Amino acid sequence: MAIHKEDTKHCFVQEGRMALPNQYFAGRVGSKFIIALRDEKKILGVKCTKCNKVFIPPREYCERCMSKLDENWVELSNEGAITNFTVVRYNDKHLPKKAPYILALIKLDGADTPFPHIVEGIDLKNVEIGMKVKAVFADKTTNTIMDLDHFEPV
Amino acid sequence: MAEYFGVAVEDIFNTMEERFRKEGAGGVDAIFGYDISGEGGGKWKVTVKDENLKVEKIEGDLEGYSVILDTDAETFVGVTIGKVDAGEAFSSGRIKVDGDIGLLTNVLPQIFAKYTPPAKEATAKDIIDSMVDRFRPEKAEGVDMTIGYDLTGDGGGKWTALVKDQTCKVEEGLASDCTVTLQMDAKVFVDLNLGLIDGTAAFTSGQVKIEGDMGAAATSAALFEKFKVAGAEEAEELISLKCLPSVDQRFATGPVMGKWFEGLKEKKFYATKCPKCGRTQIPPREICANCRVRCTECVELGPKGTATFIDIVYYASPDPLTGEVRETPYGGPFFMLDGATEEESFAHGLNPKDLERIKPGMRIRPVWAEERTGSYTDLLYFEIDD
Repeated sequence: MAIHKEDTKHCFVQEGRMALPNQYFAGRVGSKFIIALRDEKKILGVKCTKCNKVFIPPREYCERCMSKLDENWVELSNEGAITNFTVVRYNDKHLPKKAPYILALIKLDGADTPFPHIVEGIDLKNVEIGMKVKAVFADKTTNTIMDLDHFEPV
Repeated sequence: MAEYFGVAVEDIFNTMEERFRKEGAGGVDAIFGYDISGEGGGKWKVTVKDENLKVEKIEGDLEGYSVILDTDAETFVGVTIGKVDAGEAFSSGRIKVDGDIGLLTNVLPQIFAKYTPPAKEATAKDIIDSMVDRFRPEKAEGVDMTIGYDLTGDGGGKWTALVKDQTCKVEEGLASDCTVTLQMDAKVFVDLNLGLIDGTAAFTSGQVKIEGDMGAAATSAALFEKFKVAGAEEAEELISLKCLPSVDQRFATGPVMGKWFEGLKEKKFYATKCPKCGRTQIPPREICANCRVRCTECVELGPKGTATFIDIVYYASPDPLTGEVRETPYGGPFFMLDGATEEESFAHGLNPKDLERIKPGMRIRPVWAEERTGSYTDLLYFEIDD
């Protein structure tokens, strides 16, 4: 029996859905960070007293001198400045917001490292480096970094 | 007796006998000396020899030991129950070791099971007694109720809590004019207060009987702070998130590979036959991968065949199509259909009943799904043909 590639009679489409069960453990340090966002609307960092640096998100060890940091908690300001940004222009189900939105690196007052979050309440064209922003907390908790919903211009 | 973290030094030595593991002590011949200062401290001699253990509390100087641990009672208890970091205690000088330190760090954990302090159990009386302290006057504005507790069984009793004018008083015995009376087993009462069982569930299952004003029973819970076992630390909250992201997939077979699925629908196996080398490819492809010539001839294989290579999977991996963990073991042997050319065996599922029996060379037959749609699920699996 012959088959021809032009003969489309026996074309099938196989549908599938690959499911990827995931469990993410925030760890002791990560949990404390999220819980402070959730329950107290506070942004916590950790300080390395040896390097005199304040890190956010908090981590257990200093990346420079490997000192243990998980006891040196510091409360950071809810305000800071944009150190860099990009505009997310595509939608995907795993993304936290509907495109287009601003994803910025924000250096909070009191911190030495910037951390990424979303900036809202400003036109995409008007966002710039150095702009002062403040944290807006979520009404409903998801036990994630999104308990801090976004930043907006001061 | 002085306690540190709720544990006395003596508790640790007194439980050594029951925590002793013979199997870990093979070949160990050592005398451990403990010089523990501070309240509740003392000197102990622990001899391990020929898989036997002897624990003695001694007076006088420690001499002739393999290793001597010199520390204070609080550090000793803390390190033993994991509340104090041993490394830090050692480097800060709170623990001094004289002799073979390896005996403490490597050998000791093999000889003894870890000491776990016995759990302090809360009683119904503890909970009732703490009610006045746990009372929240700010929640009791305008509340005037008398709650009776009729607790049966071990540790039970009868109590009455009177809430009025934002104050709370607890008396023994049941008052005659209770707004509401809660009757249950004392054990159920303790579990409810510790949050081990759910209040609604306990009521609907009949473990708790409520007489009087049901609404009052519900409001009363908010009038008190949650009960905590004395000395127990609240468990640290840790965040763990479960999520099941899924990736949608769509695969178009095209006309040639489509012949394979058309075949499954008809309970047949189709392969393309290479005009040059004669190889039968499954699933059918447009080009022979060896000769790089177009295949236009299609032949039918099987439907029976031979098992060639047996692969039985014991690892509980998730099914990529559903995310659910597959039942193990499952078979994924390779099968060679009758009429197929060499090296054209392919892997598919095996009937679970044949997992024990399948051997290379055995004859096999396909088992088809009742309803077939032209998909890979049309062929359920193969099974031994006998």
